[in-house]
Amino acid sequence: MNVVALKTNLKEGLSIISGARKESSNLPVLKNFLLETTDGGLKMSATDLEIGITHFVSSKNIEGGSVVIPYQIFSQIINNLSFERVNLELKKGNLLISTDNYKARITTVPKDDYPIIPQVERRKNNFFTIESGVFIESLLYVVPACQTSEFRPELSGVFFSFKDNQIKLVATDSFRLAEKTITTKKFETQLEKEVSFIIPLRTIQEVIKIFSSLKEGNIKIFFEENQVLFETQQTSIISRLIEGNFPDYEMVIPKSFETEIVLEKEDFINALKLTSSFSNRLNEVRFEVSDNLKNIKISSSSSEFGENEYLLPAKIKGSVSQITFNWKFLLDGIKNFKSEEIFWGLNGEEKASLIKAVGDQTFVYIVMPIRSS
Amino acid sequence: MELKKVWEKVLASIELQISKPNFLTWFKNSCLLDKNDETGVAIVGVNNTFSKEWIQTKYHKIILEALQEIDSSISRVEYVVISKNKEEDGFQKPIANHFPQKEIAQINTDPETNLHPRYSFKNFVVGSSNELAYTAAVAITKAVGKKYNPFFVYGGTGLGKTHLIQAIGNEIVKNYNNQIKVKYVPSEKFVNDVVWAIRSKRMEDVKNKYRSVDVLIIDDIQFIGGKERSQEEFFHTFNLLYQNNKQIIISSDRPPSAISTLEERLRSRFEGGMIADITYPDYEMRLAIIKNKTLEKGIELADNICHLIASKLQRSVREIEGIINKLHFYQEFKGTNNIDLKTAEEIINSVIQQSAVAINPLQIIKAVSQFFEINQNELINKSRRKEVVLPRQIAMFLMRDMLGMSYPDIGDKMGKRDHTTAIHSYEKISKEIIKDKALSQKISIIKEMIYKNNSSG
Repeated sequence: MNVVALKTNLKEGLSIISGARKESSNLPVLKNFLLETTDGGLKMSATDLEIGITHFVSSKNIEGGSVVIPYQIFSQIINNLSFERVNLELKKGNLLISTDNYKARITTVPKDDYPIIPQVERRKNNFFTIESGVFIESLLYVVPACQTSEFRPELSGVFFSFKDNQIKLVATDSFRLAEKTITTKKFETQLEKEVSFIIPLRTIQEVIKIFSSLKEGNIKIFFEENQVLFETQQTSIISRLIEGNFPDYEMVIPKSFETEIVLEKEDFINALKLTSSFSNRLNEVRFEVSDNLKNIKISSSSSEFGENEYLLPAKIKGSVSQITFNWKFLLDGIKNFKSEEIFWGLNGEEKASLIKAVGDQTFVYIVMPIRSS
Repeated sequence: MELKKVWEKVLASIELQISKPNFLTWFKNSCLLDKNDETGVAIVGVNNTFSKEWIQTKYHKIILEALQEIDSSISRVEYVVISKNKEEDGFQKPIANHFPQKEIAQINTDPETNLHPRYSFKNFVVGSSNELAYTAAVAITKAVGKKYNPFFVYGGTGLGKTHLIQAIGNEIVKNYNNQIKVKYVPSEKFVNDVVWAIRSKRMEDVKNKYRSVDVLIIDDIQFIGGKERSQEEFFHTFNLLYQNNKQIIISSDRPPSAISTLEERLRSRFEGGMIADITYPDYEMRLAIIKNKTLEKGIELADNICHLIASKLQRSVREIEGIINKLHFYQEFKGTNNIDLKTAEEIINSVIQQSAVAINPLQIIKAVSQFFEINQNELINKSRRKEVVLPRQIAMFLMRDMLGMSYPDIGDKMGKRDHTTAIHSYEKISKEIIKDKALSQKISIIKEMIYKNNSSG
C-alpha cells in the first residue's frame, strides 16, 4: 500500500473511531486499528467487540493494500504533524509515514489477527432514514434518563420502537422516564410491521458524539436480530443490541393531574439552580403550591449551611400541594426544551409527575417525587 | 447433558491449538446447542456477532475437526448468537430501595408476565384473616387450572390481595421453569387495551395477547364494572381460557355479588369457582407483618415500637409499611437506631390524623352514593324509595361513626332532617351491623372508598 492523504482528514477519522478501540483487554490486538485502501480513499476501522466504527477519508491511492497499526502511536504522530500532506507506505511489514520534513516507521500487526467487523444485511425493509439533526436532538432528550449502572441491563440503553408510523425513543432508570416521539414526516422507512430494540447507552453516546457535528444529511439505521448499524456517507457504527424486554412503560404515563402548573422555562431553570444551593446529597428541593394558586414556593435547606426559598410566579390549576423532588432530575428533563413555557402536572406525593413543553406533544418526561422526611 | 460434555471436550481440544487470550475472548459463553445425528449438523452458540464472524472464518476448521473426533457423523457446523442472560436465573431481583427517592413501580415488573418479583409466598404473612385464601393459592400452584378455577380473592385495600395473586404467578413461573405462560394485569390496563384496540382497530392483537396465556391474573376486577365493551371482551377471554383448562385468578375489593355493575353472566362465572376473602389482620398478625417488613428492608426497630405500630394501625398493611418507612427515614436522618417511644407515637399519630382530619360529610355522601350507584341528591332529598332508605341510613351512621358529628348536625347535612331520624338511623345500623355480615362488609368497603378518595384527592 502506498497512499497520500491529508492530515486533517486522518485526524478527524482517528477521533471518530477512537471510541471503539480498547487499550486494555484480553486481546491486545484491540489496541490497534485497521487502515485499508478503497476506491478513491482510505477506510479506518476500530472495534472493541461490542461496537465497531468505520470511517472513510479521501486519499490518493498509488498502490492498494491494508495494514493494522497501534492507534496510540499513529494518532500521536498524525496529531502533531506540521505539514498537511502525509504519505503512508507499507514496506516489509512496516508502515512508513513521511511528510516534507518528517519520517517514521511503525511496526505493524499481522492483518489476519484483527477482528472482522460484522455486517448487517441490507434489505429494503430493515432500515430507517432520519435526518441526522432530528435524530441527535431526539436522543439528547432521552439520554439523561438512562440507567447508568448495569444493574438492570434492559434499562441501560435507549428503547427504539416503531409502531403506528411513529418512532419512539424511551429511556428510564426507574426514577424517571423520558419518551420522545419522532413523527411520520421526519423519517422514512419501507417497514410495515412493528419493531423495537434496545440500543446500549455507550453506543448512543458514540452516535451523539460522532454525528452531532453533522448538521445536515441523513442517518440510516439498519437493524437485525442482534445488532444495529448507524450509517452516513462517511461513517458507520455497528453495535450489539441489549437482550431482554423493555418494561411495558406506557401505563406509567399519567393522563390526569391534581395540580396543573404552567411556568416560564428560563425562570424555572434559574429557580432550580438557585434554590439547590442548599439542597442535600439527595438533591432535595421542596415545592409548595399554596392557596392563592399564583406562585410556587421553591425551597431547600441544609442543617449545616442554612436555607432559602424562592417564589416563582406560575399559572396553576387544581389542588394545593407540597412535594419534594430531586432538582437534578427536573433539570435533566427540561434543559433541552425549545419552548418557552413548561407544563408540569402533579399527582401528589406518591405518584409520578409529568413535564412537557407547552405546545409540543412529542416529548414527555416523568419524575417520581422523593419521599418527604 | 450430553451436549455439554461434548462441547467441553471440543473446548479442551481448541484450547491447545490457539492462544489463551483468543480462547478466552472468542469462546466465552459458547455452547453446543444441538447435534442432529441424521443430517450431521451441529449448532454452536456464541456470545455475539463479532465472535460469530471470527469463529466462522478463523476457527471453523478446528471446531469441525474436534467435533468429528468425538462424533464422526457430524459433517457441518452452524453458528448462532445466543443471548447472554439465558443461563442466568431469569429476572433479576431488585435490591430493596432504601433511598427516599421513589421508583416508578411498573418499571420493575417483568415485562413478559407483568409480575413484580418482590411478591412471593415466602414473604406473605399468613394468619386467621387470610388462611383460606393462602391455602387455596398454594393449592393452585400445585395443580394449575385443575383446582379452584376461577379463583376469586376479595378484601379491602392494603390487605395483601395483590401480593397473594402475584405470588401465585411468581411461584408458577418458578416451579414450571417458564413453561407455563403467566400474565398479570390490573383490570384498568385490560380496559385501556380494549379501548386502544377499538380506536386503532386492532382487536385481534388484544385478543391474542390475552388468549394465549396459561394463567391469567386480573387485579381489581371491580373497575371493569359498567364498561360494557371491556366486560364483553373479558367474558369471551374468560370462557375461552376456562374451556381450555387455563387458570384464571381474579381479585376485587368486594365479592362478585356486591359489584353491582357487573354483568350477570360474568358474576355467575366468578361464583362458579373458589371464592376466598381476606379480612383485617388481628394484632398478632400485624406484629408478624411488621417484623417481616423490617427484616425484609433491613431496618432496625425496637420491640416496643413494633407493638405500638401494631396497636395503632389496624386498617391496612400498606399503611403499616408507610409508617415503617417513615420511622426508618427518621432514624437514618437522625443517625440513630433508637427512636424513643414518644417520638414514634407522634410520627404515627401525625399519619393517622392526616387521614382522619381531612374527611368531611360530603365525602361520605359521595362515597355512599357511589357505592350504591344512586344520585347524591336522591340520597339527601325526601324520596322514600326502598333503594335509597338504607344508603341514607348508612350515610348518617358513618357521619356519626367516623366524624363524631352531632345528631342535629347530621340531620342538617342530610337534607334538613330531624335529629331523631339521625338517632334512629345510627342505632338501627349499629345493631344490624353486628348481626348482618353482608352489611358490615358493605360498610367497611365504603369506609375504604372514603379513605381512598381522600388520599388520592
